[in-house]
Amino acid sequence: MARDRIAGRRRLTQKQAAALLLLPFFAVYAMFLVYPFLRGIWISLHDWNLLAVAFNPDAKEFIGFENYQRVMWGQNIEWSAWASPALQVVGLAGAGLAAFLRRTDRMSRATAIALGLASVLLFVLPGFHPGEGGRWYDRRFWPTVGNTLVFVGLTVPGVTLTALVIAAAINRETRAMAVLRTLFFLSQVLSVTVVTLIWQIMFSPRQGLIANITEVFGGTPIVWLTDQQFAMAAIVITTIWWSLGIAMILFLAGLQDISADLYEAGALDNATGVRAFRHITLPNLKRTITLVIVLQIILHFQVFGQSHLMTQGGPNDTTQVLVRYIYQTGFRDSELGRASAMAVFLFVIMSGFSVLQFVVGREDDR
Amino acid sequence: MNTRGYYWLVVALSVPAFLWLVPTLWMVSLSFQPNEVLARTTSTTALGLLPIPFTAENYGALFTFGQTPWWFLNSVIVALGMTLGVLLVSTTAGYALARLDFPFKRALILAALAGLMVPEQAVFIPLYTMFADFGWHNSYHALILPRMAVPIGVFLMMQFFKAIPDDIEEAARLEGVGWLQIFWYVMLPLARPAMMTLAILTFLYAWNDYLWPLVSAQKREFFTITLGLASIQSNFAQSEGLGRVMASGVIASLPVVLLFLIFQRYVVQAMTVGGSKG
Repeated sequence: MARDRIAGRRRLTQKQAAALLLLPFFAVYAMFLVYPFLRGIWISLHDWNLLAVAFNPDAKEFIGFENYQRVMWGQNIEWSAWASPALQVVGLAGAGLAAFLRRTDRMSRATAIALGLASVLLFVLPGFHPGEGGRWYDRRFWPTVGNTLVFVGLTVPGVTLTALVIAAAINRETRAMAVLRTLFFLSQVLSVTVVTLIWQIMFSPRQGLIANITEVFGGTPIVWLTDQQFAMAAIVITTIWWSLGIAMILFLAGLQDISADLYEAGALDNATGVRAFRHITLPNLKRTITLVIVLQIILHFQVFGQSHLMTQGGPNDTTQVLVRYIYQTGFRDSELGRASAMAVFLFVIMSGFSVLQFVVGREDDR
Repeated sequence: MNTRGYYWLVVALSVPAFLWLVPTLWMVSLSFQPNEVLARTTSTTALGLLPIPFTAENYGALFTFGQTPWWFLNSVIVALGMTLGVLLVSTTAGYALARLDFPFKRALILAALAGLMVPEQAVFIPLYTMFADFGWHNSYHALILPRMAVPIGVFLMMQFFKAIPDDIEEAARLEGVGWLQIFWYVMLPLARPAMMTLAILTFLYAWNDYLWPLVSAQKREFFTITLGLASIQSNFAQSEGLGRVMASGVIASLPVVLLFLIFQRYVVQAMTVGGSKG
């Protein structure tokens, strides 16, 4: 009986078996990822109001790239090299640094291109500004992108440095270190709503633990989440606490790959502790560090929950981030066309970093 | 490093490790304190880190009042459904792409690889309109299906199947075993560790996902616990009582924390894969 069944199934050729096995995935893939992606671009080319189109499917109007213009451009926009000197100088310096490090062969080509490109963008983009009598069509879009960049710019180095130091310190196969690792990793598995719940109350000036501690020392509690100076810091602290785990684990994996012989040889040259960290650990961990940074950028550029739940983008839009702006434009203002244009913008940036991540991840296959 | 140096290192590291634990500990401690006390002060004993005065009634209240148990059940259904679905499509496609020979194989792999570049945040609007057209919102399949299209599981399984030596398969072929039987009886049992990693990755994602449930589930009956918790935290202090909201937070975290403590190795592996590839 069983033999008959097997003999019967053998008639399925390899191609047929492959088609059968591939079908479930590629069906959902085409339907729930490829199609929505293309449809997103399609929506972004329309004046598409969520409610109007829901009542009458013909209520949308094809307007080409006007949504992109309405989101990113303005009236009388001019460009100059000193519109935002601080950022632009940093951009120029970054580009110069990338060229120099590449010339002297102290940086891999992919990293140099990435740094160079980012620096050039940092020089070019802040140079745009409304000229006399001009204005941005959407006053909130670029500040929102700016806030997202500030968030990424504070969170990524914060997580990376903390995780690197902790990983280097607990990189030993003992029971105590395993317990410490568990403690540092635990917060990583919590959901964004639990994390924001905890930290909203941690930061509360009336009930919060931080305020309680401040009061013990006789200080005045900070109104973290509604103070323009502290709101961004509050969600950055929350995020560092939340997402330290992955970075730490990736660093630990990278540290395992460094041969113990190197440290023994280093010890003969009197390189232990901090000196060993600087001269042996860091150079050998370069690729992991780059990977962790790129990963964190991708992850944190898409921040939504922390801003949405803790500060509602406020106070005064200082913690408004890109994904939250897309969400609001789409579902509060019902402007699906404009929201989709922003989503495409997000995708373009993210895919740039994905390619970079792919290239960096590939480098060890040589 | 000598023993004394090691001893001091552990002591020195215990301080930041404890600080890292404090916020979670505080949530647990508050959930065991009476709401009347918390309304006055949250720092009764040891800055509120010890639950004295103690009460368990916040947890009792969750089951008699509010929708937390219902949301919890929704989360279980969605997370298990998504895990099974992802395992199904990932193991089948992963096996075919890794070990079978057929036309356009490279093109299909590249097509799937491209999907890794599309973040959920970039497609949630078209997905919303699409599901609205179908009338699918406020349902379990609406919460489950979009994640099944994310190709990360396929790549995880593909890499695993590629590493299996050829002779196992060849022996079975010589015996006259069909491709589907090889997949089911030979490959899947071998793939258990990789499937475990993928299952945990998917379960954690499903349990903790916030943006898509927020967009898709508008009726409170279809909230997941993650979404439900977001909906009650905005007015936590006034209506529900701080202790009760914290108890909801503890309940919402319990499955993932237990999963983490029991299967720590797999969880760490899963999050590393999830972090480094998608």
